[in-house]
Amino acid sequence: MKPLQRILHVEDDISIQEVAKVALEIVGGFEVTSCDDGQSAISRAAEWQPDLILLDVMMPGIDGPTTLVRLREQASTQGIPVIFMTAKVQPSELEHYRALGALDVVVKPFDPMTLAEQLRTIWERSNG
Amino acid sequence: MADIDVQARLAALREQYGLRLSNDLQTLMSQSREVSTRQSAVDFESLDVLRQGLHRIAGSAGSFGYAALSRDARELEIGLQAAIEGANPPTPSMLTALHDRLQACYRALESPKLSEVGEPQGSYHLASGDRAIRVAVLADGDTETLIQSLSGFGYECRQLTDILGPHRGGTTWHPDIAIVDTAKVADEVWKPAVEEVPQAALIMLSAESGFEPRLKAVRHGAMGFFVHPVDVPSLEHRLRHLVNLPQQDPYRVLIVDDDVELAEHFRLTLKMSGIESRVINDPHDVLQGLREFIPDLVLIDINMPGCSGPELARIIRFDDDWLKIPLIYLSAESDAHLQAQALAQAGDDFLVKPISDVGLVAAVTARAQRSRQLSLALARDGLTGLIKHPAIKELIELEMARGQRTDTAACVVMIDIDRFKSINDTYGHGTGDYVIRLLANLLRQRLRRVDHVGRYGGEEFVAVLPSCSLENAREAIERIRVSFSELECVAATETFHATFSAGVSSTHQWPNAETLLEAADRAMYEAKQGGRDQTRIAVPPS
Repeated sequence: MKPLQRILHVEDDISIQEVAKVALEIVGGFEVTSCDDGQSAISRAAEWQPDLILLDVMMPGIDGPTTLVRLREQASTQGIPVIFMTAKVQPSELEHYRALGALDVVVKPFDPMTLAEQLRTIWERSNG
Repeated sequence: MADIDVQARLAALREQYGLRLSNDLQTLMSQSREVSTRQSAVDFESLDVLRQGLHRIAGSAGSFGYAALSRDARELEIGLQAAIEGANPPTPSMLTALHDRLQACYRALESPKLSEVGEPQGSYHLASGDRAIRVAVLADGDTETLIQSLSGFGYECRQLTDILGPHRGGTTWHPDIAIVDTAKVADEVWKPAVEEVPQAALIMLSAESGFEPRLKAVRHGAMGFFVHPVDVPSLEHRLRHLVNLPQQDPYRVLIVDDDVELAEHFRLTLKMSGIESRVINDPHDVLQGLREFIPDLVLIDINMPGCSGPELARIIRFDDDWLKIPLIYLSAESDAHLQAQALAQAGDDFLVKPISDVGLVAAVTARAQRSRQLSLALARDGLTGLIKHPAIKELIELEMARGQRTDTAACVVMIDIDRFKSINDTYGHGTGDYVIRLLANLLRQRLRRVDHVGRYGGEEFVAVLPSCSLENAREAIERIRVSFSELECVAATETFHATFSAGVSSTHQWPNAETLLEAADRAMYEAKQGGRDQTRIAVPPS
C-alpha cells in the first residue's frame, strides 16, 4: 500500500488553511499545499500530483462537488482520491458525496490534534 | 520539542482567530438587529447572508478551541435554515432571540474567564450577562409550586414539555438547567426530552434516597440530585452553584521549574484550558512571584539546581500567607520512598513526569478547585453560604473607600426576619434555619453581582450596595421584601409566610462604617416599630 504523503488542501478560509497546516504538517508529518478555490485546485492537482485532495464543500466560485466532477473529467487528476470537508452532514448528503466518488467526509470543525489520524484511517481503510 | 511547537502555534492561531471571531460576531449582531427591526416583509437575502456567516463560524470555531461557540452557531444556523426553507418566515421574536444569542456568544468570547478548550464532561451552556437563568421543569402535574418558588428567586421557569411542544428542535428558549422528577416521569419520557436540551445542566428529583438512585443520576450526567420532599433552598443553592461556578475567575497556577521549555509547555497547556499561569525558572524569585501573582496552586519541580523542591516548599510555608496554598511537586521520580520524604517535609502532592496534557489540566483543575472551595468556605457562614460578620465589616470599609475615590455613594441595608422567635417556637429550629436559608438565597439571587450580602447575626442580614442611591436601594429591597412575603415556607405539617423589616443608610450621610451600620440598624428598628414587613430609610439628625 502506498503511504499517504502529499495532501492538497482546498479551502477558501485562510484561518482554517493555517490550522490545517499545523494539523497536517506538524502533527501529521505530511507534505501540504493549500489552494484558495476550486479552479486553482484543479490546475495545482494536475501539476503537483498529490496523494490525496482534502476539499471544502462550500466555496465561492466553483464549489467542492463541482470541483470533484471536473477533477474526474481530466485524465491527469481523475485517479486522485478526494475527501470532502464540511460543517453540514446529513445522511442523505453523505450518500450524495460518496456517489460523486469521494472517499469519505470529514466534519468541520475538525480537531487539529486528531485530523491527521483521521485521514490516515480513511486512507488505510480505502486502500486495504 | 514538536509537541511544544504544536501547542504554541495553535495558541497563536487561536488568538488570531479570536480577533476575527470577535469582528465576525459584531457584524452578525448588527445584521441580525437590522433584519429584526425592519418593518417591511422579511428579507430572505439578508437572512441567507446571516446564515452563511453562522455556517462559517460553526465550521471553524471548534478547530481553534472555541467548541461551545461552534455548537451555538450551528444550532442557530439550523434554526435559521429551517425558517428560510420553511413555509413560514421567521417571526420578529425569533429574530430578536437570534440577536440575543449572538450577543451572548459575543460576551462569552470577550470574557476571558470562559475557557472553552478541555471542557469537563457534562459541560453546559452558561447564562451570560444579565439574562435571567432559565430552568425547564419536567414533572407530572404538581410542578406549579416548584415553578412558583423558583420564579420567586428570579429564575425564568417553564415546563419542559411546553418548550419542546410541537416544534421539536426549533426552540429558541434554551434552558440553562433542566429539572426532571424521575419519581413522576417514566424513563422513556424524560430521557428523549432531556436529549432535546443538551446544553442544559440536568438535576434529578427522586422518590428514593440511597446509593443506587444517586448512581443512576450520575450515569445520566446529572449535576444535582434531590430526594422528595425537595428542600427548595438547597435546590436553589445548587442551581446557583451550577450556573455560577464556571463564571468565576480562571484558576491561577505558579509554575516553578528550571527547565525553561518544559515550564513553557505547561504554561501553554494550562492556558489552552483557561488556566492562568506564570513561570518562574529561578527558585529565588518564588516569593516575589507569589506576592505578585497570588496563585491558587504552586507546581514545583522537585529537582532544581541550588534549591530543591522540598526546600523551596518549606521556604514558602514559613510565611503564614501561603499556608493554605497547595504545593504540588512535579517529579520524574517514581520512587515512592523519596516522594514520601519530600511530602513529610512540606508540600501536598505529587505529579509524576512525564504527564499528558490532559492529565496535567485535570490534576491542576481538581486541586485548584478544592483550594478555592476551602478558602471560600472559611470566609462564609455555614448555614447560608453568605459572608460572615467580620468580613462584611471590612467590605463596608472597602466600599466606602471606593465610593470616596469614585465620588459615588454606597448603601448599607440591615434586614431582620420578623417574629423569628415565634417561627422557631411554632415550627422548630429546623424550619427556622430553612427560612434563614430561603432569605439568604433570595437576597443573593435578587441583588446585583456587585452587591455583597452577609449574615450579621441569627436572623439578621446586612447587604452592601455600591454605587447606589438611597431611593434605588429602597426600591430594590422593597421588591425583595414583597417577593419574600409571597414565598411559601414549608414546615412539617403546614405552610406559612414569613416577612422581614429593613433599614437603609447611605455613605452620603454617615462617614464611617460604624455609624453607617448603626444608622441602618436604627432605621430597621423603626420599621419594626412601624408594624414590621416594611423598609425604612435612615434620616440623619437635622
